[in-house]
Amino acid sequence: MKRLAALLALVLLSTGASAQTPDVASDLPAAVVEEQIAVSSDYRGSFVTVFGVNPDRRGRGDIVVVMRGPPESATVMRKRRVFGLWINGDPVRFSEAPSFFAVLSNRPLRSIASPQAIWRYELDPAASAQLASAVPAGGDPSAYRAALVRLRRAQGLYQDYAGRATPDRRGGLTMYEGGLFRAEVRLPANAPIAQYHADTYLFRDGRLISAQRIPVMIERVGFERRIHDLATQFGWFYGVLTVLLALAAGWGAALLFRRT
Amino acid sequence: MIYLPIAEMPVNVLLILLVSGGVGFVSGLVGVGGGFIMTPALIFLGVPAPVAVATGASQIAATSFSGIMTQTRRKSVDWRMGMLLSIGGIVGSASGVWLFERLLRLGQLDLIVSLLYLILLASVGFLMLRESYHHWRGRAAKSVSILRRPVKTVAHNLPFRMRFPRSGLYISVLPPLGIGYAIGALAAIMGIGGGFILIPAMIYLLRMPTNVVIGTSLFQVLIITSLIVIMQSAATQTVDLVLAGLLMLGGVVGAQLGARLGAGMKSEHIRGVMGALLLAASAKFLWDLVIPPAEPYVLRGLW
Repeated sequence: MKRLAALLALVLLSTGASAQTPDVASDLPAAVVEEQIAVSSDYRGSFVTVFGVNPDRRGRGDIVVVMRGPPESATVMRKRRVFGLWINGDPVRFSEAPSFFAVLSNRPLRSIASPQAIWRYELDPAASAQLASAVPAGGDPSAYRAALVRLRRAQGLYQDYAGRATPDRRGGLTMYEGGLFRAEVRLPANAPIAQYHADTYLFRDGRLISAQRIPVMIERVGFERRIHDLATQFGWFYGVLTVLLALAAGWGAALLFRRT
Repeated sequence: MIYLPIAEMPVNVLLILLVSGGVGFVSGLVGVGGGFIMTPALIFLGVPAPVAVATGASQIAATSFSGIMTQTRRKSVDWRMGMLLSIGGIVGSASGVWLFERLLRLGQLDLIVSLLYLILLASVGFLMLRESYHHWRGRAAKSVSILRRPVKTVAHNLPFRMRFPRSGLYISVLPPLGIGYAIGALAAIMGIGGGFILIPAMIYLLRMPTNVVIGTSLFQVLIITSLIVIMQSAATQTVDLVLAGLLMLGGVVGAQLGARLGAGMKSEHIRGVMGALLLAASAKFLWDLVIPPAEPYVLRGLW
């Protein structure tokens, strides 16, 4: 409870960052517990917790929390049958598909915001994916969009939760007395290591009242970081190092074998 | 559990050691490099295919270097032939890495790798089963040494002939260069050493004596896999050093244990079981390509 109080103080002190749209206020106090997540050799995914307070004193309105990974291009291909074999064909490219997308709300999103609002504020992963190439003849753009969401959902990279966390499901959005809310998102280990954003939205009567954006950084640390930096910045040297390691391992094994 | 910095996934250390040890054990038992079992095994464990292919090469380099250490003491490496095969292999693996990147971009890498594995596993499995079957029926398979000497192949007639004292050959340099090229390209795309294709090619096409074949092929495999590791590191950044270390550790230990046990067993039995396993694995690859997929769409993100 002490930690909660400290957090609340932090939340109330925090000044509003830039809101997403000009006609929306940015007075929604919110904070992320884990602003920096360290990926070390024992990393197995993590949880991100967003706390906030509904500024409405009577607690009217609905809260939506969206955790977004950086957008990246993705290609969806449909399998075709060629000479009896199923091969990848008909590629469709999305230029800005979110690499991670989790949306949490206190009740089902469709009853909080209109489809137009969901599309406009990109509260749905499908709404965030920008088509960048023509859909092949006979293809359906929405089928590709749905496939993108389905495949990413299967990888645990797209999630949605309506309602509070339960004992057997840690992710969810829970409302407390006095307008306090707490949203917990599971970041799986395969989520990209990058800068994320936790966006908090307050809706009332289907209209967006206030929004707040908080950055969340996931970074490699220590050994993992050194290996990755070496691999990306000094590729040649990294390759030579790996080969030397291989030679050492082979040499060691041969020595061991001779002795016994 | 340990997090792999390049594959960007956590893996169970014991599981990886067990798998690489098992593959090393089988390769030591049967006398093949094992890259063609290791790479599919890693893909099966969920390692992205490009990382599995590029990282598997480093484990093959380790195993082949430990093999060379033993073979040089027996003077069974034809360095001149090895150099020629390697020159062909260097050009071949460079084109292999280039093709790998192209296919990755086109989204057809999985298909090509699956098809190549299907063909290779099926043919090697078939050959092993046949050899073991012939032995079981009491007929020796056609011995290589009977075929070998008086017959001249195309290698003896092409221009640019060269003497290979250790193999006792006077043949054109073109076939070794060509064979080296093909093995290098295959190795880069499939994450294999290529020894199990190179050895029959050296015996049947180049007519090299069997006692220098293994050492020489190990030499070529070492050069090619080392180069592939360096080129993949520079071009695609798909070599995972942590995974490579685990594979080397499990692989070399397993290979020594396998070789120890293999010495006391009938190799025909081992080869028969191994051949059946490989045929089963190739049937799985074929099955995946032929049956209608449950999910008709595939996603290509970073990899």
